[in-house]
Amino acid sequence: MVSAGDARKITIAQVLVYELRVRDAMSKPPITALPSDSLREIQKLMKRHKISGVPIQLGTKLLGIVTIEDIITALDQGHIDDLAEKRMAQGVITIRDHFSLVRAVAEFERHGFGRFPVVDSADRLVGVLTRGDITNCLMHQLEKRAEEAIAFEAAALASRAGDDLARRIVIRAPVRTGDYDSAGKVSQRLRQVLRERGIDPDVRRRAAIVAYEAETNIIIHSLGGEVTVAVDSDKVVIDATDVGPGIEDVNQAMQEGWSTAGRLPRELGFGAGMGLPNMKKCSDVFEIKSGNGQTTLVHSEVFLRKAASTP
Amino acid sequence: MKFETNAKLTAVLLAIQATPLTSTSETNVQGCYISDLLSDVLAHAQPGMLWATVQIHRNVVSVAATKDIPAVLFTCGRKPDANVIAEAEEEGITLLVTPLTTYEAAGKLWQAGLHE
Repeated sequence: MVSAGDARKITIAQVLVYELRVRDAMSKPPITALPSDSLREIQKLMKRHKISGVPIQLGTKLLGIVTIEDIITALDQGHIDDLAEKRMAQGVITIRDHFSLVRAVAEFERHGFGRFPVVDSADRLVGVLTRGDITNCLMHQLEKRAEEAIAFEAAALASRAGDDLARRIVIRAPVRTGDYDSAGKVSQRLRQVLRERGIDPDVRRRAAIVAYEAETNIIIHSLGGEVTVAVDSDKVVIDATDVGPGIEDVNQAMQEGWSTAGRLPRELGFGAGMGLPNMKKCSDVFEIKSGNGQTTLVHSEVFLRKAASTP
Repeated sequence: MKFETNAKLTAVLLAIQATPLTSTSETNVQGCYISDLLSDVLAHAQPGMLWATVQIHRNVVSVAATKDIPAVLFTCGRKPDANVIAEAEEEGITLLVTPLTTYEAAGKLWQAGLHE
């Protein structure tokens, strides 16, 4: 019995030895010779195909085998021109093509042969198997498995990278009244994110303008608030909220050039009366809710598209 | 001197006696927008333009970065604080200063060919 711990120690090569069949490893089709061929002809055949054993076949009947050892003996003893039928080993032991490689290895151990003719279930000769064939097959399969594992890893990595791009990023920052020095912090981060994602520059600028105007509006006009920017796979959602004092006439505030900004912000270049109109113009979805003495809520959506030239 | 619409900034500097406050190598500008109102710049300036203004607050850098404006020209010899210059360097925005008024600078830039 194999415990879980032992099972884990089985290497992939061991698994393959059980999984793979003789037909996966054997050389095919078999290079064969006729019983009427001379040993010299068979020697040439071996040289041409770089093989060390040739089954001797007549029709579909396997008669015997001539190996490189037989050739050496024939050369030594001067009967290289004899016919195969006279010198071949008869009563050849074959191996079945559906045997596992581990069984084939055991057969090699048991008989000490360098090769086996391989026959199918109908006893037809279908190939020749050597120990080298087994090694080659295992190496090839290991390489294939390794490549598959690498490809799987790469695909998993790529898919994780894709998830990162699709992931929702939320930038949330409190915005303080009169904090002109901090204006644009959220907008700056948003620009970075959109640039990293290869978003179309025009879309990036529009979203950044909405975020910037949202920040400055809170700094200039409110008693303090918060800007939240959520970057989704298909849009940027910008929400600005403050704690008051609210906009008395929202329609008036949406008109270009109308501003209630004080002296200091105007000196700094704010208060052009274009903030809200700019936001609306740059948004694909724009909503504003306010009223005298109320909190102001501004909701904007900018739809994303990738830059056309992005690789 | 004359220069192409897509002007090398060095040529702009010559035309208006401007000095760079940041590294200016190979910055190109196309056209110019003049405004001291930030939202107006956000609304009407085009990416790639030179922006001339008397505003020297750090929000000028934020607006320029938001709008992909590569270079800002401060007129009337107004120089921003070192931290504003550092921020511009970080954003890759060129800052320039000229002793000329905005009107004089605009006239010379137009004369030099910085118009479409």
